[in-house]
Amino acid sequence: MRMKKFINRPEDIVRELLEGMALAHPHQVKLVGSNLIARATPKSPGKVGMVTLGGSGHEPGLSGFVGEGLLDVSVAGEIFAAPGPLRCLEAVRLAERGAGVLLVVLNHAGDVLSSNITLEMAAREGWNVRRILTHEDIAGGRDPADRRGLVGFLPVYKVAGAAAEQGRSLERCLELAERMERNTRTLSVALRTATHPATGQAIFELGDDEMEVGMGQHGEAGTGRMKLKTADETAELMLNMLLDDLEVKAGEELLVIVNGAGATTLMELFILFRRVHQILAEKNIKLARAKVGEFITTQEQAGFQLMISRLDPELTGFWDAPCDAPYFTVR
Amino acid sequence: MTDRLSRNGLLSMAACAARQIREHHACLSALDSVAGDGDHGSAMLRSAEKIERAVANAPENCLRACFEQIAWGVFDADGGASSSLLGSFFLGMRDGVPANAPSLDCRELAAAFQSGLRAMRKQTPAEVGDKTMMDALIPAVEAFSAAAAKGEDIAASLAEAACAARSGAEATRHLTARYGRARWLGEKTRGHPDAGATSMALLFEGFSEGLRSRKGETGHA
Repeated sequence: MRMKKFINRPEDIVRELLEGMALAHPHQVKLVGSNLIARATPKSPGKVGMVTLGGSGHEPGLSGFVGEGLLDVSVAGEIFAAPGPLRCLEAVRLAERGAGVLLVVLNHAGDVLSSNITLEMAAREGWNVRRILTHEDIAGGRDPADRRGLVGFLPVYKVAGAAAEQGRSLERCLELAERMERNTRTLSVALRTATHPATGQAIFELGDDEMEVGMGQHGEAGTGRMKLKTADETAELMLNMLLDDLEVKAGEELLVIVNGAGATTLMELFILFRRVHQILAEKNIKLARAKVGEFITTQEQAGFQLMISRLDPELTGFWDAPCDAPYFTVR
Repeated sequence: MTDRLSRNGLLSMAACAARQIREHHACLSALDSVAGDGDHGSAMLRSAEKIERAVANAPENCLRACFEQIAWGVFDADGGASSSLLGSFFLGMRDGVPANAPSLDCRELAAAFQSGLRAMRKQTPAEVGDKTMMDALIPAVEAFSAAAAKGEDIAASLAEAACAARSGAEATRHLTARYGRARWLGEKTRGHPDAGATSMALLFEGFSEGLRSRKGETGHA
């Protein structure tokens, strides 16, 4: 299959997409320094800075969540590739407002390595930087180190970002981020491949009548290749795996996110969400908060990620707190 | 004639290593397309460009500072895992070079390579057999150290290191990946050498060639 995309020169993709995002949302973000997306109006001094990093090609993730009450700076790498540690260090310097910086890193090898070196260098400079790794993809197995970071970054950005905005300490923001992360699980499913926008190459192959449960954001193989199922069957299969893994009990409250992978329509996402809602109601689990849409994508990949987080009153409070980013606004 | 690696010898090694990547980046991407998304070559090319820039602006007369400049250049490249690992390797080499040394003998260079390898080991648990850059780097550093211990000169030791790196990279053809993004593809990765290990072999071949060409010109390294 030949790639069809509206791009210019492949080497200009990242720069041009970041320029466009900043120009489209001038009241929330700006492009500064070495292609960093930063808040249009910096956070006031004395508050914890929030920084994230990750490859491009997953828009609106991750830079679309820079804004008041969320992230201060996002370091976008090349297509599907982690940014280098020097740009991450520049982002930390920019986000530092005198109360330390929380670095939110999705568990992917390149991102983890870049953040390791960033942390070492920041420590050498005497800066107070802490890291939270998100790894909630249950397709990775039982060991958290093997679990990738998928859309579960969003509740982590949200609760830690809200706490930072309210002037909580770095330790406190980290504790909230860790609690949110510990209580989050995601599972993805893919129907059709994406192409790498710079190389034009398909990132995986899947038969016309197949789907793959557990497919990662870059075509990393999952565990369950199977014949295509209906929306209701797919939602039920995935939700039950997530509920089991998180050991959710009747009476508990959940945040649910249905995240489209890029080529799956809102029509489909709503059909899926409706079934998730029904199943939770049958199990007497409260669907307390929800988001349906595209938060992290992989080009024209078809499929979706289903995420559940166990909420408690404090986490719910931070989830509901105001924020204002290009792709996440709460008033 | 004393056998020592000077600043210019080091810069010639680094420049030639970068040129190897530049000449073979399309092949690296093709290898990566088997187990990844086909962009390893362009990622390595970004690191190579930073190495070339560091060489062009290298500080005078201090090997430590030259290694550091190369390392920071590579850390500035958006090359995913490869730039973090490669930058760590060069920064580790810097840490293995005595302060203010204007040149290194073969054993001192072996110590610098060992220090570079230790820095990589801090970043990755991968060993020989895991189908990563380490499959080429570990045998290369071992071969260089063994040759240096036997009293061979720098050019001969680098030639052995390059040979070992290439054999190590070729041996990954029969392995399945266990780290990085490729590990999720398991059996699909068998049958082709690892792109990262191949990059590392190209770098060591460049080191060897860069030193030989410098010696050819000046009679010393």
